[in-house]
Amino acid sequence: MALSKEIYAAFEAVVGKNNISQDPGVLQTYRCRAPQSSAHYGPYDHTTPTPQAVILPGSTKEVQGVVRLCNKYKIKFKCSTTFWSAHGYIGSDYAVQIDMRRMNGVEIDEKNMIAIIQPYAIAATVQAEAMKHGLTCNIPGVGCSSAIIANTASWGGPGPSSVFTGNAYENLMCMEYVCSSGEILETGSAGYGAGWTCGEGVGPSLKAIIRGGQGTRGELGICTKMSIKLSPWPGHATLETVGTIPAYRASNMENFRAYCIDCPSWEAWGKAVMKINDNNLLYLGHRQFSMFGNEVKAAMLEIITDPEKQMADLPALMADPVVKKNNDNMAIEFHIILAGFSAKDLAWKEAALDEILKEFGCWKDEWFLEPEHEDYLKSYLMRLGHKNLNYVMIGGYEGCFGMDAANQPHTCQLIEKAFAIHKEAQVTGTYAAAVGGDTAMGSLGGHGGGGGPMGWEFFSHFDPHDPESIKGTAEYHDRGPLKFMKEYGLGVEMGHSNANCRKPDGYAFSQEEHNAKLSTLPGTNPFIYQWYVREYMNPNHLGDSYYETCDPEAVKNAVIDVNAETGLR
Amino acid sequence: MALNDFIPMQERCSNCSFCKWIPFDKVKSVRFAENCPAVVHGGFNTYAARGRFQMGLAIAKGELDYTDEMARITHECLDCGACDVACKVCRYNLEPLDHNRELKHDALLKGHILPAQLKMLDSFKAEKTLVVGAKKADRTKWAEGIEWAKKPEVLFFPGCKYSYDKKLQKTARNAAQLLLKAGVKLGYLGDAEMCCAGRLYQMGFFEQFDKRAEANIKAIEKSGVKTIVTPCSDCYHAFKRLYAAKGLKVEVLHVVEYLDRMLREGTLKFTKTVDMTVTYHDPCHLGRQGEPYEAWEGHEKKILNQVHTWEPRRPRYNGSKGIYEEPRNILKAIPGVKLVEMERIKEYSWCCGAGSGCSVTDKEFSEWTAKERIEEANSTGAEALVTACPWCKDNFEKAGGIKVVDIIDLALKAL
Repeated sequence: MALSKEIYAAFEAVVGKNNISQDPGVLQTYRCRAPQSSAHYGPYDHTTPTPQAVILPGSTKEVQGVVRLCNKYKIKFKCSTTFWSAHGYIGSDYAVQIDMRRMNGVEIDEKNMIAIIQPYAIAATVQAEAMKHGLTCNIPGVGCSSAIIANTASWGGPGPSSVFTGNAYENLMCMEYVCSSGEILETGSAGYGAGWTCGEGVGPSLKAIIRGGQGTRGELGICTKMSIKLSPWPGHATLETVGTIPAYRASNMENFRAYCIDCPSWEAWGKAVMKINDNNLLYLGHRQFSMFGNEVKAAMLEIITDPEKQMADLPALMADPVVKKNNDNMAIEFHIILAGFSAKDLAWKEAALDEILKEFGCWKDEWFLEPEHEDYLKSYLMRLGHKNLNYVMIGGYEGCFGMDAANQPHTCQLIEKAFAIHKEAQVTGTYAAAVGGDTAMGSLGGHGGGGGPMGWEFFSHFDPHDPESIKGTAEYHDRGPLKFMKEYGLGVEMGHSNANCRKPDGYAFSQEEHNAKLSTLPGTNPFIYQWYVREYMNPNHLGDSYYETCDPEAVKNAVIDVNAETGLR
Repeated sequence: MALNDFIPMQERCSNCSFCKWIPFDKVKSVRFAENCPAVVHGGFNTYAARGRFQMGLAIAKGELDYTDEMARITHECLDCGACDVACKVCRYNLEPLDHNRELKHDALLKGHILPAQLKMLDSFKAEKTLVVGAKKADRTKWAEGIEWAKKPEVLFFPGCKYSYDKKLQKTARNAAQLLLKAGVKLGYLGDAEMCCAGRLYQMGFFEQFDKRAEANIKAIEKSGVKTIVTPCSDCYHAFKRLYAAKGLKVEVLHVVEYLDRMLREGTLKFTKTVDMTVTYHDPCHLGRQGEPYEAWEGHEKKILNQVHTWEPRRPRYNGSKGIYEEPRNILKAIPGVKLVEMERIKEYSWCCGAGSGCSVTDKEFSEWTAKERIEEANSTGAEALVTACPWCKDNFEKAGGIKVVDIIDLALKAL
């Protein structure tokens, strides 16, 4: 069923004729081909449904107008900002796609150290504006091309600097939210005259209800404005870089030191990370380049820091004895930035770092001690503007992703075991690329209040153009990493987040399908709770069913399958 | 290549949207962080390189046919190449700019030509220029009275814009006379000069471009020169990259390269003070697209199971070898001139809006693009916006809001 002319005209009256389209070519560019989607989806070979129209609202009032019309005509909707994942796309046939790109405002409140942002404010622009005021923001691990609101409202949002700036969800202060019913909800203390500065007043935490755990759930409404906490930036008002594309490197981060820390064992690695965290030394901590694959990371670093080199040079570089030695040195490593709020502060941090490294037999990687490489690392991690290197090998990557810590003393000893699974697939697998990480990846700030945990991530590369590669990679992740994660109880597995909410044909689950799936699980209560929340905020069920709910009526006659896994994710 | 040949690339695009932004390391503000005029103006993903890949994939697979709107969006691309540079900060196996052009070519082959493009094509056929309304008979008028060298070693190729635009003809004369005065054995094709057809290529008229390029190469070879010098960035790109791929062997220089060389050799010296604060606009086809052509023949090769590469090593055009320093050297050498930079410069410069014929085919979009740049120029506090391309200059002047100066005219003021 297509939108009638009357309905189209009604939407057009809200946003203007240039901000709505039903053209087939335009609609096609709002469909997500799953293998091209960001990772943690499961590389299925399908495309999401075609929206009835694409709408670009330019203000909260326009968003409200669009949502009210959706209610009036019972049309499902879903909004997205950067459209870098299947999460943000519609999942049913009679739905409109809302593109938030016209709302990109960034306002910095220097005194209160907050930013008030609109949906299309990406991390790069928020950070650039904040730096002018001696402040910075958390940039999520996915990179600075991502929208801060999407990360903060619907994702944990750990990033390299989370150890200092906090994770995205920890920085959330106030939200302006257009509920699916069309009502505007404002959280925070606006009523007490404190503007956008206070996250919660008295009473229940509405922001905790609205905020998602992973991915834009899109069921309850559209976040149109948000305030987030910013952190001190002891650098210049702009991040300046020099060098030839793509090897840009920082030229004005004099108050900072960047190091790659090499470790003799995973145990030393875990302990060093924890002790560095315990002593609050870091401005930024991350494990980044393992995404290329353990055998190739030094060679890849040679390529991405030298404008003259390219992927065809990889075999020769891997065979180079000097590069090989570098690769061996950085086999078990992590990357850090120290910031000096004064010369004395930096000197103290350097001395403390040296002492900790000595204690665990770790050392500063020589390759990264070269000034040009250190400067590259500084800008790379501070801005996180090269994250599309995830796709550099061929175009697709997948990561079986776990929330539990990889670098706790009791889990870091499992890394070699996990890596062995990965390595076996690299050697014997036909379809997964013969490069991929060693499973420990990401932010040292990690989840749950900072303090060191780093996620598990079985990183592999595949060819989104080759159906066999797509299929082979999906199979590998199910039989290898996923099994491993379950066997050792390494936390909630997030690799199939989309698969829990969207069927292999690209469509979202219906309420009946959710009921059938969730009502028999031992952990059904949260989904029943979410059902009540949804009924209040989205009575016409207009968002897609990424927000998983279970009708309490369906549970009444359900037989609990005690052998099933918990429904919690 | 045909659109079908781009399917692997269309499917390997990760839809990350890097193509919409300047390289992130260079972002200094929310206001000037985006790079693609088409998507900022048009709004929908469709206008960005990632959207063009998606739309192109559906067309190549026969799932979609062009609508009028799709054809319009396909042609609403300035061929500025900013998406190409941004993509290649991380990717080594995608060519967004080539794909954008192929999509235009495909649309044209299927009959989706814009009315204004038809007029340009008619002018090209009848008068050998894309400047609609110009007459072939008037092409050489700008050069009347110039004493060219009898046995020229260097060919001066002003191109259509300098030849026909009365406001710009003086600049072309000045450039030629400056070089002649400096002792350069400079020649001119006269009646034999015709449009370089670079804009036809940008618009997707590949076959028409090929024909014209072959004829022009013959004319250039017949002249016996070793070097071509042009003040036009579009002509420069056509000769340096596109004609070179077709076998043109002579050295190709833009006037700014020639002047910079003369400054370094000491054959040119600026003696007069020009008290002016200026900012410099990098023309797309001189800057990021002004890289020299490198011959390559090879094929795709996967290594380490699925790592994608080419055998032999393929040239990588990502804006790293464009012409950026030469015009800046000239400006810095002029006593009294103070150069202040905009946020988006060099390989990540914002387009003037005139590329790919859009100043004729989509005037509103073209002027909007120019106004955006002028706002950025004004934010630097500069009194004038200097550029090295007649198309840029004309488009900025039409948009208004700042004094626009051709770098040749500024250099002459200092002599």
